Amino acid sequence: MSSHDAVLVPTVPPETVDRLKPPKRIEGGVMSRPRGVVITVIVALLALAWVFPLAWALVNSFRDYGYTQTNGYLSSGGWTLDNYRQAWAQGDFGLHFKNSMLITIPAVLLTLWLASMVAFVLARFSYRFNLTLLGVFLAANLLPPQALLIPVFRMFREIPLPMFMSDSGSMLNSFWSLILVNTAFQLGFCTFVLSNYMKTLPHEIYESAELDGASVWRQYWQLTMPLVRPALAALATLQFTWVYNEFFWATVLLQQGDKFPMTSALNNLRGQFFTDNNLVAAGSVIVALPVLVVFFALQKQFVSGLTLGSTKG
Amino acid sequence: MSRPRSTGALGGTSVPRSTIATMSATRRSVLRGMALSGLAVGGSGLLAACGDDGGGASSGSGATVKFGINEAQGSGPAYDRLKAIADAYTAKTDTKVSLNAVDHNTFQESINTYLQGTPDDVFTWFAGFRMSQFAESGLITDVSDQWPIDGLGDSFKQAATASDGKQYFVPISYYPWAVFYRKSVFEKNGWAAPESKDDFMSLMDDMQGKGITPFAFGDKDGWPAMGTFDILNMRLNGFDFHMGLMAGEEKWDGDEVKLVFETWKSLLPYHQEDPLGRTWQEAATSMGNGDCGMYLLGTFVVDALDESGDDLDFFTFPQLDDSIPADSLDAPIDGFCVAAAGKNQDAAKEMIKWLGSAAAADAGNEAAEAPFIAANSGASTSTYSDLQKKSAEVVGAAANIAQFMDRDTNADFASTVMIPSIQEFLKSPDDIDKITASIQEQANSILG
Repeated sequence: MSSHDAVLVPTVPPETVDRLKPPKRIEGGVMSRPRGVVITVIVALLALAWVFPLAWALVNSFRDYGYTQTNGYLSSGGWTLDNYRQAWAQGDFGLHFKNSMLITIPAVLLTLWLASMVAFVLARFSYRFNLTLLGVFLAANLLPPQALLIPVFRMFREIPLPMFMSDSGSMLNSFWSLILVNTAFQLGFCTFVLSNYMKTLPHEIYESAELDGASVWRQYWQLTMPLVRPALAALATLQFTWVYNEFFWATVLLQQGDKFPMTSALNNLRGQFFTDNNLVAAGSVIVALPVLVVFFALQKQFVSGLTLGSTKG
Repeated sequence: MSRPRSTGALGGTSVPRSTIATMSATRRSVLRGMALSGLAVGGSGLLAACGDDGGGASSGSGATVKFGINEAQGSGPAYDRLKAIADAYTAKTDTKVSLNAVDHNTFQESINTYLQGTPDDVFTWFAGFRMSQFAESGLITDVSDQWPIDGLGDSFKQAATASDGKQYFVPISYYPWAVFYRKSVFEKNGWAAPESKDDFMSLMDDMQGKGITPFAFGDKDGWPAMGTFDILNMRLNGFDFHMGLMAGEEKWDGDEVKLVFETWKSLLPYHQEDPLGRTWQEAATSMGNGDCGMYLLGTFVVDALDESGDDLDFFTFPQLDDSIPADSLDAPIDGFCVAAAGKNQDAAKEMIKWLGSAAAADAGNEAAEAPFIAANSGASTSTYSDLQKKSAEVVGAAANIAQFMDRDTNADFASTVMIPSIQEFLKSPDDIDKITASIQEQANSILG
């Protein structure tokens, strides 16, 4: 192929280069200076409005409840680390973090694996139902989970599991139910993104692979999967945060306090009547940390992965 | 407030009251509430049928009873007491108790899925309509064969009885709603707890004259003002009318209820302004630091003040109508039920009977920093604070005990109709006719 490429490269005569050069760039891009200032101010305000509650919570998580209750939240003082100590102990976050990981990691891996297989077939083979199939996967994503609560709840209640898998004897009250539900709800989106991404892979490599006698499985596992790694990394980041943050199903399907994931366990910091907001703020910061860590660690993949696959397909 | 809802990792809201699957304003919880009510309607019959399957398992020595409690591990005295009670039962009968601790609000909001899913054998619950509702739909087990229980009087038996005349509940503790004040503030100003309506009015006028707002008031969370409605209704229309109204047998747009709102409106100038922007904790603080003279709330008011409560005292709301004695009050009762879908019915019934005993209450109170007020008259009061001793006296002397609006009536009605309606009234106290008409309209569809 490469021998042909050289011919196709358009050559520009050296003397025309100057003429084709764009006019000198004005400071501020296409925007004039005043418009740029307005935009900057608006964006700064929006950013402030967005960051303010987070910062406010963060600041107050370091303050003593008694102090803020007497002097009001606008005062300054009463600094302490006790909220974090107490939140960690009272919320039993060690146990609940483990629960969250037991749910999140298998769910993310399972989702990515299943979605990549569906996406591979949708992207590489043309069946008449391809589009319909993709549509069905996406449509399921549009259903609010709340609408499915009753059917899913009843279904899980009727599915028996051996006692060594679930001590309730059914899907209810077990991690299996949460892993499955999360996988099911995230599958549509992942399939959509991955199939679009896979369509951007050059068709020629599959032709060569076919000629070399690679089976479909091998084309999937050894050819496609390594090439879609950026998309997988981006999706893994997203999925991790989504599944980790998931609250609704965990609250409904689990009924045993020591099985709750982090998000539900945050409620342990609220009393029957009395809520120490500073303590809850400290707990929320702790709960949000893993997501932030994953996000910053995988930020690069995340940004590049989001735009990849968006131009073709 | 500093409620950091927007971090995204946050699960619930910090609305400090469980009663309220549907009341807080997040979309998530509203939808969940709706879905759960759907479940309640749909699934009960089926489940009650499955419940008997695993029954008849062994009880006594070596058996295990699953015990669901509505206090998260490490959440303070309430958890410590229940844990101690469970341990004491194991020590006494050799029955293992496997504890399932879920935080109060989550437990209450998920109660429908809990009872229809894989519930524990015995679980913590409330007396009154909330219990009766589950009895009617067959989700909890009839424990009338365990009654009477030594030391639990008729009023408690009444509170444990569902609409079919059978008992489905065993009480363990309660707390009263009353008007709290600082002893030191009252002493300094030479005030005394009012005995009559005239005393009461002149006390409030005197407070205002001295630049102190008579009543602290906060209704940001929606439920605290229900306490004011309850007590005014009981004082103005009597206990029987109040309970009839809660059950949907009386009219919400009748003259009686209008009288309650009219009276309330005339009392509003004695309350803190803009209650909708204030949580009960903030209101309690303004009573605690002397800005306000009194606060109508439950005994949990102590929690917000970050102190022992030695400088607090209370009186029951005075008589307002000459023909109606001031002998009824809100005193929500907590206790236990047996889940119909629980696997070990016999052992559960045995345990619940013991839970009503004085020994159970004593075991709980000895183990925790702060005791509860035991329902059982035989329980020791040696660990009680002065406030609790007085609470026990006052409730003991009361002729009628209500459970608080959100426990005495349909939970959906309380949270989706009454909370917004009362808040609407506090916003525009002149719209009483419109508000009562709207309550009645919604009561028709919910309470039937």
